Amino acid sequence: MTTPFSRRESAGFAPNARRRGTFRPLLALALLTLTALPCLAAADLPALWSDRVKSVVAVDFFTETELGRQPTTVSGLVADANGTIALPPDTVGPRLTPAQLKDFHVHIPGEPSETFAKADYLGQDGLSGWHFIRVEEKLRARLTPVTTFSPPAGTGEPAAGEEVWGIGLRGKDEDYTPYLLTAKVSMVQSLPERTAVALAEVAAPGLPVFNHDGAFQGVAVGGFGSSYVEFSRAQRSGMPIMLIDPEESRVFQLASAVIPWLARVPGDVHGRPIPWFGAYGLESMDPEVASFLNLVNQSGCVVSEVLEGSPAETAGLKPRDIIVAVDGKPLPRLKPDRVAVDYFERQIDIRKPGDKFAFTVLRGTERVELTATLSDEPKLAREADRKYFENLGLTVREFVFGDGVVRRVKHADQTGVIAHFVKTNTPVSAAGLGADDWIQEIDGVPVKTFAEAVAKLAAIDGDPTRTEFVMLISRGGETQVLRVKLK
Amino acid sequence: MRLLCLLLALPLVASAAVSRGFTRLQDAVVRIDVRDVSIESGVKRFTAGVGSGVILSDDGLILTNAHVASPRSVELSITLASLESVGAKLVGWDHWTDLALLRLDLAEVKRRGLKFAHADLGDSDDLFPGESVYAVGTPFGLARTVTHGIISNNRRFFEDDTGVDGYETGAFNNWLQTDAAINPGNSGGPLVTDDGRVVGINARGYIGANELAFAIPVNVAKRVIAGLARDGSITRSYLGVVLGPLQILDHANALKQNTGVLINSVDSGSPAAKAGLHPGDILLALDGTPVDGRFPEQLPPIQDLIASKAVGATVKLSVKHGDQTATLALVTERLESRLGEEWDFEKWGLTVRKVSRAFARDHQLTDDIGLIVMGAQTGFPAAVAGLGRGDIITTINHEPIVSLEVARKAYDAFVGMPAPVLIEAQQEHQLSLHILKP
Repeated sequence: MTTPFSRRESAGFAPNARRRGTFRPLLALALLTLTALPCLAAADLPALWSDRVKSVVAVDFFTETELGRQPTTVSGLVADANGTIALPPDTVGPRLTPAQLKDFHVHIPGEPSETFAKADYLGQDGLSGWHFIRVEEKLRARLTPVTTFSPPAGTGEPAAGEEVWGIGLRGKDEDYTPYLLTAKVSMVQSLPERTAVALAEVAAPGLPVFNHDGAFQGVAVGGFGSSYVEFSRAQRSGMPIMLIDPEESRVFQLASAVIPWLARVPGDVHGRPIPWFGAYGLESMDPEVASFLNLVNQSGCVVSEVLEGSPAETAGLKPRDIIVAVDGKPLPRLKPDRVAVDYFERQIDIRKPGDKFAFTVLRGTERVELTATLSDEPKLAREADRKYFENLGLTVREFVFGDGVVRRVKHADQTGVIAHFVKTNTPVSAAGLGADDWIQEIDGVPVKTFAEAVAKLAAIDGDPTRTEFVMLISRGGETQVLRVKLK
Repeated sequence: MRLLCLLLALPLVASAAVSRGFTRLQDAVVRIDVRDVSIESGVKRFTAGVGSGVILSDDGLILTNAHVASPRSVELSITLASLESVGAKLVGWDHWTDLALLRLDLAEVKRRGLKFAHADLGDSDDLFPGESVYAVGTPFGLARTVTHGIISNNRRFFEDDTGVDGYETGAFNNWLQTDAAINPGNSGGPLVTDDGRVVGINARGYIGANELAFAIPVNVAKRVIAGLARDGSITRSYLGVVLGPLQILDHANALKQNTGVLINSVDSGSPAAKAGLHPGDILLALDGTPVDGRFPEQLPPIQDLIASKAVGATVKLSVKHGDQTATLALVTERLESRLGEEWDFEKWGLTVRKVSRAFARDHQLTDDIGLIVMGAQTGFPAAVAGLGRGDIITTINHEPIVSLEVARKAYDAFVGMPAPVLIEAQQEHQLSLHILKP
């Protein structure tokens, strides 16, 4: 869709959409040439449109950081009759805490953008990656859950060549006016959710796709790119690039996969409970390796590490084990190879802490059957306590489980705090402190806990007579004493 | 500090009256043409370079930089002041001080009746900032170039972890800084005083800077020359402490004493870690010798003091931890480079470097098993299997790669009877499996 108007801002977009800290595979779609304009011969498209557009809203909110407030606008999908709205996974960056998300405003597409209803942030679901909000009472009657349009039971997947349509939203300066997108389905893949690729952009990420009869077909997903070769005066040989459209997508996850997700409203803003297994650094294998290991017509995941104190460790999983089956069912061979890892992780994500998880590993040439009892995931960085010291220009946060994993530190040695944010042109940045440095001592005294660190830093931050202090920090496994000159 | 290695060659176009010593020195400076083997790209390649050197003795010993001549050099050709070329062999090298020692092919010299002079060495401890010095060498291949400047600083400190073709340098010596023009090709040539005595070996300059170059003091070189001539290498000791200047701490902690040196970091698994040394401790004395490391330029002598201890010797460290002072006994280990032995597996299109203990420590690996992939040649089995630069090959057909020998055996078996090989590799601690197919 070309337009002479300015496009909608999409600050929430990130090219490699993160789902709870893991990268969604960024797929390059083959160039598909659209030879003829699709013409949708719906029975009564205007009537279908006016009903279905009620399942769509525009949502804006602010992200508050040490440096200010950043506005974000995303598309929202009405999940139920209680005002629950689902937002795409990349709406919120992985370093942000729920407390930093402010002033959620929900807009009816096409109505004056200065009118809105307030909403509360409910949290992120680990399986879908979706964020949920709940809009205030006054707007709920005007919204229609997308499940109202669920296809009749027994309806198959959209077939290649079938025409589908979806909704896009214009920017704030155009009152988030909804507009129509149509395309034909090109292919359907398991990624590992059943996912359709259309011949053209079919909806804004997070918004629904419907068929000829108006039945709900799926939800568009962002983060997929198309490969091009760029030529310029300077680059005459052509440079391969990947383009990602943050506003419209050709790819949608099918209704069969996403309808159950609409009900997965988190129990709290942190998405708790989160099932945890504790196998780390899972890597897929190519068919050559699978066949060498006598894995016929199936895949496997190599385990790089087994996390300390995890259910996987308790169950007896070892590094170098190759996970080949869950509940006796072999890991399917999916394309591309790395989808096997996502498939395996989904098998955990659909469970709950306390659930049994039976799996089979290949250890050398031996097959070993193991059973883990999943637990609740240890505290995540986004849940960690943090504190900003205005004069120092430094935010410290609690050392959490994941910090120990990436720094390869045993639990017993995990003391101190993490420098979460270091403002530029401040004494601490001048002393050489950087974000993600691990602060172990302040003024020669070990800081064992977050509270100890906060107390020490608060005393320094609030003492106008202090001229300097020293910190022992660790970066990349090497420590360093930093002297911070305050005056 | 990022410094450009400069190869310096100085043609002698001395201006006014020069001393007899200076004339003699000019006859002792040589141009060195080097052919090196490089394995960066998954295949052996040859590269050519030009540097400078200075003849030290009548038996044909030549001093140059380690970044000019090294074990990677497969061909060394020396052009004497008489413009005659003659071959030479590497006697030994020491990347830590960026020095290498060569010997002229004396049989050839004798057969062809070639003549050469040797240089006299001065005393670099006597130099003072402002003193007049000359650099002699082959900048940009312009042989027999003489440039003139002064000693800008005689105690410059810098360390560079990858300064000599990827090898560490600068930890154990200070440097002479000069404003004599030094350019690529000058490397390995001498820095001399008016009387033609060698006081330094020109080695490096700042990228983009003017008249800002560095030379290794000849008094450092004297010890290295003796060691290389005797053993072919320099053995140093290692304790596993990373030192920092004490000035970071002195005011903040209102230290009563202002000597000692800060221990900034302790390598895990090192003798220092085993003895319980702690980052932030202050090292006061080593085997009873007080150390004074308030400023960065004072660190190399202290690091050299540690390195000079015999490997396996017990050394006593007086250490201040908080308010307490203790004496700890540590047994030194042999210092090794981060860069291990290199090898190329031609049929696999794969070049590798052994994981060293120092590399393993740097990268928080649990042990020194494995080979680091330097390069995988496009279209060859290793690249086809998805191996690339930076991968660490940990097992081949389930056998842990504890040495290069283990990998060589697997390779020989493959060459003898080609069959698929299972490779386990890791990158950033993430394991992956690959099949090398004939």
